[in-house]
Amino acid sequence: MFSEELKAFRRLGLRYVLLQVLNFASVIASGLMIWKGLGVVTNSESPIVVVLSGSMEPAFYRGDLLFLTNPPSEHYKTGDITVYKIPGQDIPIVHRVLETRNLPPTVDVRQYTKRYGRLTTQSKTSNQTDPQLLLTKGDNNQIDDIGLYQGIEWLERSHIVGKVRGFLPYVGYVTIAMNDFPQLKYALLGGLGLLALLQRE
Amino acid sequence: MHSIFARINNTSALLSSCLMALLAAIAVSTFVFTAQPSGNVNIASVQVQSGQTRRYATKRQDLAYVDFNITADFTPLFNWNTKQVFLYLQAEFDDRKGVKNEVVVWDRIVRSKDQAKISVIGKNKYNLRELSASFKNISPASYSLKYNIMPYVGVLTYGEAARTTEDVPFPPRKTRV
Repeated sequence: MFSEELKAFRRLGLRYVLLQVLNFASVIASGLMIWKGLGVVTNSESPIVVVLSGSMEPAFYRGDLLFLTNPPSEHYKTGDITVYKIPGQDIPIVHRVLETRNLPPTVDVRQYTKRYGRLTTQSKTSNQTDPQLLLTKGDNNQIDDIGLYQGIEWLERSHIVGKVRGFLPYVGYVTIAMNDFPQLKYALLGGLGLLALLQRE
Repeated sequence: MHSIFARINNTSALLSSCLMALLAAIAVSTFVFTAQPSGNVNIASVQVQSGQTRRYATKRQDLAYVDFNITADFTPLFNWNTKQVFLYLQAEFDDRKGVKNEVVVWDRIVRSKDQAKISVIGKNKYNLRELSASFKNISPASYSLKYNIMPYVGVLTYGEAARTTEDVPFPPRKTRV
């Protein structure tokens, strides 16, 4: 079945295969560079996220793509849609800010927050704004998110991945499909690898 | 060179770049529409009562109950790239320690132009509470009606439609009969 391809493969030689492997590696490396570069520019650990739940319907559905920024000098405001991650939880949550409490530097934030483990020693960096306490809610949920915070009473800057600035529908559904059907992921990766090797340019 | 695979590849590449260009054009086109909605927010009454909320760590605390009237016209915000407009009424007040509070008390999602003329006599959907658990000696609050335009594709924009002309003080706590 693949005898034809194999013959072609042999004719091209090792040098060619190595070149193609290098090409493939450079594609992956530049992808990673763009992702990390975006992360630096937007100050967000994950500048592009895919919506995984229906709690912000009808604004965002499963599979929609969101573009985030997290400017360090800006306060979050009510109505902003934030992506946050509670320590100990893997999946980031996309919800809207319902309450903001901007504390002046004279007020100690610790009296309002129960902190656990590593977070207690986290120090304030120089260019960050004054501490802020946030409460969020999903547009499609009846009540606010306190139940989701796992014992934390208020969200803080350190929990927040970014604020939603841009929106692109459906595109992220590919990643959801790949997560739901892992076979698809391997088929796609294998196919791409094979193509990269066999294609002559 | 002219294999089936190459043709499929070329066609899909062209199609996807056309689609991307079209989406970008739609996203950019929304910056041309700079409509400013107008409205009116009127606070009919504010009451403060001591309440018990099991959800919050500070168990017994003052909760404010706000009655308001809103009239506003959001139809100018609807253009071909408006998926929905998210409206919210928020209270803004400073407390004794200098904490700046902004609390959303009511919201509504408007999904089409014919629902965009708003006339609401309502009361707060969400709890209005204070970090110190008491509204005693808290400065009067200003209430504002804000909106967030959410597009089919592109950038989310925010704005303010109306604001109370005078700040509304929190009355002393009412004791239950």
